[in-house]
Amino acid sequence: MSDQSTSQPVPEPAAAPIESTTWAQPPAASDRAAGWVQPTAGTARRLYGSTEAKQWQPSPVLAARAEREAAAAPVAGAQAPGPAANLAPVRTFTPTVQSCPRCGGSIDFDGYCETCGAKAPSVREHFEESPANWVAGVCDRGIRHPRNEDALALDSTPDIGGRAVLVVCDGVSMSADSDVASLAAARAAVGYLASRADWNWDLAALEPGSVTRRLLTDAAQVANAAVLDNSDLFEASPASCTLAMGLVSGRRLLAATLGDSRVYWLPDDGAALLLSTDDSVAQEQIRAGMEREAAETGIHGHVITKWLGRDAPEIDPNVAGALAEGPGWLLVCSDGLWNYASDPALMSRLVSHFSGVDADPLRLARALVGWANEQGGHDNITVALARVDRSADATPLGPPEPLGYEIDIPTARTRPVASGGPNPTG
Amino acid sequence: MALFSTEVYQNEHLPDGGTDVNAIVRIGVQDAGAAGSDGAAGEIIIIDCSGSMGQRSMMAARQAAMVALDNILDGTYFAVVSGTHEAYLAYPIVQSGPGMVQMTPRTRREAKDAISRLVADGGTAIGRWLALALALFNSMGGRLAQKHALLLTDGADEHETPEQLDAAIRACIGQFQCDCRGVGTYWVVSEVRKISRALMGTLDIIPEPSMMAAEFARIMQTAMNRGVSSANLRVWVPQGAQLLFVRQVSPTVEDLTNQGQPVNPLTADFPTGAWGDEERDYHVSVRLPAKAVGQEQLAARVQLVVADQPRTQGMVKAVWSNDDNLTAQINNEVAHYTGQTELAAAIQEGLAAKQSGDLSTATSKLGRAVQLATETGNREATAKLRKVVDVVDPGSGTVRLKRNVSKADEMALDTASTKTTRTRQPGAEQPEE
Repeated sequence: MSDQSTSQPVPEPAAAPIESTTWAQPPAASDRAAGWVQPTAGTARRLYGSTEAKQWQPSPVLAARAEREAAAAPVAGAQAPGPAANLAPVRTFTPTVQSCPRCGGSIDFDGYCETCGAKAPSVREHFEESPANWVAGVCDRGIRHPRNEDALALDSTPDIGGRAVLVVCDGVSMSADSDVASLAAARAAVGYLASRADWNWDLAALEPGSVTRRLLTDAAQVANAAVLDNSDLFEASPASCTLAMGLVSGRRLLAATLGDSRVYWLPDDGAALLLSTDDSVAQEQIRAGMEREAAETGIHGHVITKWLGRDAPEIDPNVAGALAEGPGWLLVCSDGLWNYASDPALMSRLVSHFSGVDADPLRLARALVGWANEQGGHDNITVALARVDRSADATPLGPPEPLGYEIDIPTARTRPVASGGPNPTG
Repeated sequence: MALFSTEVYQNEHLPDGGTDVNAIVRIGVQDAGAAGSDGAAGEIIIIDCSGSMGQRSMMAARQAAMVALDNILDGTYFAVVSGTHEAYLAYPIVQSGPGMVQMTPRTRREAKDAISRLVADGGTAIGRWLALALALFNSMGGRLAQKHALLLTDGADEHETPEQLDAAIRACIGQFQCDCRGVGTYWVVSEVRKISRALMGTLDIIPEPSMMAAEFARIMQTAMNRGVSSANLRVWVPQGAQLLFVRQVSPTVEDLTNQGQPVNPLTADFPTGAWGDEERDYHVSVRLPAKAVGQEQLAARVQLVVADQPRTQGMVKAVWSNDDNLTAQINNEVAHYTGQTELAAAIQEGLAAKQSGDLSTATSKLGRAVQLATETGNREATAKLRKVVDVVDPGSGTVRLKRNVSKADEMALDTASTKTTRTRQPGAEQPEE
C-alpha cells in the first residue's frame, strides 16, 4: 500500500492543513494559532496511542456528508470554529485505583496493595459505566486472558424511558493494540450516535439504504475509522474488533452488529429475543442446519467473518429492530458472557435470576460478569444493560435534544502547526 | 547526597500450588560522601594490652593504632581504649563529661602520645572493653549519628565468663558497629565472630603483627568513607505471608532473620549499619498462600531506609503459572548465593568437627565445601581450603585432611568462610553497568 510513513508528518502543499486529524473540515486559522484542533461532529479521535499525528483518510461516504453538512450548516454548534479556538485540549486521563478490590487495603505508589500485595487492577482491566440509573455496563478482563481487549461505551438521557446508546466491542487477540482500538471504536460509535442519531426510527424500514440503516452503517464506519486511527497500520496483524450497538428510544429498540458480540431483548414477560445476528462461521453453520450449541462450541465457534480494522472485509452491520411490548432488559454483551448462556431463553433466565436479587442495572451487570467469571472467565466479559419500561410510552418523541453528552476526547494535536510549513517547533 | 539503587533477581513464576518465593535484592549506594556527612561520626579504637601481646605485638599494635588515627578525618569524635582484664580510657584523659574529643592535629598528637605509653600487662575481658566503648559513645548524648569501633585482640576471653561477654555484646547491639581483628593464633574465631556479627562488623585474622598497620589503615579508611550513617533494610510481606528468612549474602553471609524490629504487622526493619559506596546483596525468602494460576501479586517490598525514609525499593513478585518452562527455572543469583551460604556453613561445621576430633564429619563437610567453592567459583575459599585439605576430586568433593595444618591457615579459612563471591556470569539479560 502507501509508502508514506504514518508516523512522520508528511510535507504537504502549504494550503492544505498539515496532520489534519479532523475529517469534517480543515482547521480554522484561529485553531492553528492556538495549536489545537477540536474534533468536529462528536467523533472520538485517538483516545490513546502515539502523539504523532497520522494522516487521516476520511472514508468517502463520511467525507462527502461532512462536506455537505459543512456547506449547509456552517454555524451548527458542534462545528462552529469560533468557540473551538478557546477550548482547552481534552485528554484522556487514566484514573488510578485507590483501594484494593480484594482486601480493601490502600494501593501503594508501586501499584500493589499495601496489605495483601495484590496487583492493583488497571482501569482498563475492569471498568464500569452508568450514565443514568437505568443504563449501566461492566467490562472485565475475565480470568484466563492476560489483557482486557473488550470495550464498552454508554450514553443515555437521565430518565428511564428515554434514549440510550450501548456499544460493546470485542478486540480480536493477536494484535498489539486491540485493546486500544476496541475502546476507541466503542467510544467513537457512541459519540457519533449520541450526537447524530435521529431517534424517531421507523422500525419497519430497516432495509439497506433506509435512513436508520444508513445511520447505523455510518456509526460503524466512524468506529472503524477510530480503530484505524488508534492502531499501528503497519502491524502485521492489524488491530481489529467486533462492534455491537444497542439503541433504546422509549419502546423502540435497535441492534446493529459486526462480528459476534450480541444484542438481546429480554422482556420480563414473553419470549426473549436475540436481536443481533452473528457474523461468524458458527452462524453460517447454523444457517446450514447445524445445531446452535454444536456450532458455537465447535472448533470454528469463535471465528468471525466481519470485524472492524484495517483488513475489515465490509463495514455493513447486521441491523434489526424491535418494539418492546412490556418492560424488560436490553442486553449488549461480548462472547465472554454469552458463551455460557447463548440461547435467548437461557440468557433471559440468567438475567431474571440476578435481577430478582437486585434490579439495579450496574449491580446486575456486575453480577452477570461475576457469574461468567465463576464459569471460568475464559474470555474478556462485557455486559451492558438498559432497562426498558412501559412508562416509556408517555415520553413524547420530539426532535433530538442534546444528551448532555460529554466524551473524553483527547485531541491528537500535540504540537503547534507552524503556519509556514510542516516543521513544528519542538 | 547519596544515590541508592535496587535490583531484584528472582524467578517470579511459581507453579500451581507453589508457595515459596526467593529473591536476591542487590542494594547499591553511590556518592555516599565521607563519614560525618549526615551527622557527627564517632570512632573508638580498642587495643588489647594484655600481657600475652608481648613486646613485638604490642609495638605493632601501637604503630597500627597511630596509623588508624592518621586515617580518622578531622572533626570526627574519637577515643582510645586499652583493654586487659579491665578497660581503661587511654585517650582523651578526662575525669567526667563527654569521653570523646574531636579530631584535630593537636588531639591526634596527644592521642598518639598516649598510645605510645601503652604497655602489655594483664588479662583479657573483652566484654568490659565493649562496655567502656558503649559508655564513651553514650557520654556524647545524642550527638553522634554514626558510631564505629575497631577492636584488636590477641587472646581468648579468659577473664570473664561467656555469659558476661554475651551480656556485654547484647548491650551494644544497635548502639555501635565494631570491626574485629585477631592477631596471632591464640584468639578464638567463634568468640570474636559473636561480636563482629552482633555489631555488624567484619572479622579477620592478622597472622603477623607486621601486617597490622596496613589492615588498620584500610579499616579506618572504609569506616571514614561511610557517608550514610545508619540504614535499615525494611521488608514488607503481604498479609498471610511468612518471611522465611532475610540474609545478607554479599559481601559476606549474615543471617538477619532474627534481628528484625517490627515496624507494623507486615513490615520489619533489619539493621544494616553504615554504608559507603558499595553494593550488598540480600536473599529474601517469603512463603505465600498459593493463588490461582494467572494471578500476580507482590511477595515482598524490600527497601533501604535511612532516617526512616525509604530511599530505594525492590519489588519481589509472584506470578502463578502452569508453564513448566517458566516455573522450573531457578534464578542464577538465588542458586549461586544458596550455594555460597551452604559453603559458609560447611566450612564452619567442618572446622568445628575437626577441632572436636570428629575427623569423618570434618572430612565430609570440608569435602562438600571444596565442591561448593568450586561450583560457585569462590577462589578465595578454594585456595584457603587447599591449605587445610588435600583435594582428590573437587567435582565429587573427595578430600583428605592434611596432617600438618598451620593454625593460622585454619583460622584464616574460618574467618573467610562467610565471604562470598558474586556470580561468575551476570545474568545474560542483565548487562553490566
